[in-house]
Amino acid sequence: MSDAHAIVVEGLTKTFRRQTAVDRVSFRVARGRFFGFLGPNGAGKSTTIKMLTGLLRPTSGDAVIEGVRLSGDLLALKRKIGVLTEELPLYERLSGEEHLLFAARMHGLARPEARRRTEELLDFLSLAPERGKLVVDYSQGMKKKLALACALVHGPSVLFLDEPLNGIDPVSGRVVSDLLRRLTARGVTLFFTSHVLDVVERLCDEVAIIDRGRIVAQGTLDEIRAQRAMVGDASLEDVFLKLVHADVRREDLSWIG
Amino acid sequence: MDRLIALVALRWRLEARAVSGSRGRMAALLVAVPALGVFSLASAFVAFSLTRFAERAQPELTLPALSALATLFGLTWALSPLLAGVSATETHDLGKLLPYPVPLPTLVASSLLANLLQPMVLAQLPPLAALSLALGGGSARGPVALVGLGLGLALVLAAGQAVGIALHAVSRNRRWHDRALLVGIGLGVAFSLLPILLLSRGGSGFRRLALLLLERDVFALVPFSWGARAAVHAGRGEALAFLGWAGASTLALAAVVGVSVALAQRLYRGELDLGEASGGGAARTRMRLHGVVGALVEKDLRVAWRDPRTKALVFTGVIGPLILLLFLWQGSAGPLRPGLLLAIASFSGLGALGSNAFALERQGLGLLFGFPADRLSILVGKNLGVIALRLPALVAVSLATLVIAGPGFVPAIAAVVLLTQMLAAAADNYLSILFPFPVAAAGRDPGASVSGTRGLGAAAMTLVATMGTLVASAPFVFLAWLPELLGERWLFTLTLPLALGGSAAVYFMATSGAARLLERREPELVARMAGED
Repeated sequence: MSDAHAIVVEGLTKTFRRQTAVDRVSFRVARGRFFGFLGPNGAGKSTTIKMLTGLLRPTSGDAVIEGVRLSGDLLALKRKIGVLTEELPLYERLSGEEHLLFAARMHGLARPEARRRTEELLDFLSLAPERGKLVVDYSQGMKKKLALACALVHGPSVLFLDEPLNGIDPVSGRVVSDLLRRLTARGVTLFFTSHVLDVVERLCDEVAIIDRGRIVAQGTLDEIRAQRAMVGDASLEDVFLKLVHADVRREDLSWIG
Repeated sequence: MDRLIALVALRWRLEARAVSGSRGRMAALLVAVPALGVFSLASAFVAFSLTRFAERAQPELTLPALSALATLFGLTWALSPLLAGVSATETHDLGKLLPYPVPLPTLVASSLLANLLQPMVLAQLPPLAALSLALGGGSARGPVALVGLGLGLALVLAAGQAVGIALHAVSRNRRWHDRALLVGIGLGVAFSLLPILLLSRGGSGFRRLALLLLERDVFALVPFSWGARAAVHAGRGEALAFLGWAGASTLALAAVVGVSVALAQRLYRGELDLGEASGGGAARTRMRLHGVVGALVEKDLRVAWRDPRTKALVFTGVIGPLILLLFLWQGSAGPLRPGLLLAIASFSGLGALGSNAFALERQGLGLLFGFPADRLSILVGKNLGVIALRLPALVAVSLATLVIAGPGFVPAIAAVVLLTQMLAAAADNYLSILFPFPVAAAGRDPGASVSGTRGLGAAAMTLVATMGTLVASAPFVFLAWLPELLGERWLFTLTLPLALGGSAAVYFMATSGAARLLERREPELVARMAGED
């Protein structure tokens, strides 16, 4: 593995009973890159993230994240990464502030530092006015922001974000996407999935497209366009739809109009 | 009418599919339906015999007794979602049907009609038929009595539906939902304890009160009894009285259906203001305990206190040993022997077994295992949380010991409870890792039951773990009790720290092993709990 790569994935496979969810996936992500991981529903994105973050054991294959092998010391891996999964695993009966303090302390931060970072994150993500409210009473967008704050509180060098902007209001969405950009500028690597292709096109330096468990394309948007012989102004959406063989119907409904 | 038929058919189709689509439900139905049938026929026989006997021996008692039974039946049926956590009759999920242009009264009526073919409702028909036969004596008065009883059953079903809709309204606000849940658990426990109270030494007061209520015919005031009263009058050929009570019952039925419609209307338009679900207090959170273990204990205590189900478990953990004590006290002629207190202390300590180290995590499990904290600290933190949550049980047993046996026994009994809890928690760590409970999927009610339980293997392992805990704790329990056996109570100052220290050492050895097991099996454990394996 080259030192320039934060994530190196080699033949990662996950089989549930007889169904292969992720099939020999391999790719590399350079340090400090904003890497978009795209695919239709059920393509294997979340399964890949769970394997890369140590929450799911691969059936075969391995990965190295910031020099730590997935099959090796999982705790060392967890010290270096921050994770925002689609399910938003949160303790619903804690307040937002309690939750963030708890996450900071579980990452081993001293209490004054945990307090300082919690305050900063609550302010930054506009959660401060609702700091005492229980998570169960948060809106989906607020839960997402809190889960993101938990992923950031310990200062990870690699961030795995599954649909981080989904359900967040436009103002917070801009704040979060600007923050993520600044993080990559400071050398943090971002592994990012989203269904909103405009956002991916705007933010990501590089993308990989997964379909039915297999990587069907990887590179910068220009590289993928060139590989697939698409015209220079083809959008990421055009590329994506072509690669996943989407059947986009164009006829109207008979009784409407 | 088309819509009404479509809605009723939809309910039946959904219920049939829910059964046919699940082997577990199908098996439960195959077991439950014959049992329900036998119970229904037996109830019919008892109802017939008792009513005939009462009508011949003490006819003046028939009316108040039937009114009391009808009231009890109506209340337990209507409040079944609160008392048992399961509604005896379900209601349509009106939220899914409201976008369609169907009038609300049609929706409510369809739900009520669909209920008529539910097994629980069908099972009521034989007892009602037997009752009408007993009251009418085989003459033409029988079918008229059946009309009265049918009206009573319809009112019960309608009330059940109204309660269901009201609970649905309440559950839209988390704070009210929690309160309703806690009240429901409290009512359920109170109802379960009622027979014990009535049969206990102090139960004569309750029995006198029940007899007084019967003598005064107080239950005539409860609408649930009006159908039954109409039936009794029909059986006696008192046409005017029958019409009066049947009319009152019909009016009550119409009123309850009206309440359901109004409630549904207000509920789905958001007109019911239940207030803020939780306050956004500006007070800063205080962190009292240190380190990873402290953070976990604090978190678990906060979560448990705010979760009505867990809070209720804490209280039932107190009630369990106390009920056992009450039973033993009732059964013994003189004062309780100290040996029995020791057994109760061990029983109370064993309650930590089955507490499941990761049960409080629910959907936060993925987050917990994402932290780079060493797994021994996580297990110790979880176990300390469980032991802290069971402190009320320790206090209750100690207080009961103080009252029953005197202050001399309290330190030893408290130490036995504590050391058994520690060792039971250590054993439970293995069960939690090897036979985890699945958690509800994201977006689902985290408290709802999830398919994929621990299974028979786990039950056997629980038995093994119980035996293991008893064996492991035996030397320390002996050490804690030794001064009592020797009659040298001053030795407690020496033996109790030794017993607690020794059991703590065994706990740490066992939990270190469990932590290593957890490190090896962690991804599989997460996948199993999330139902992804």
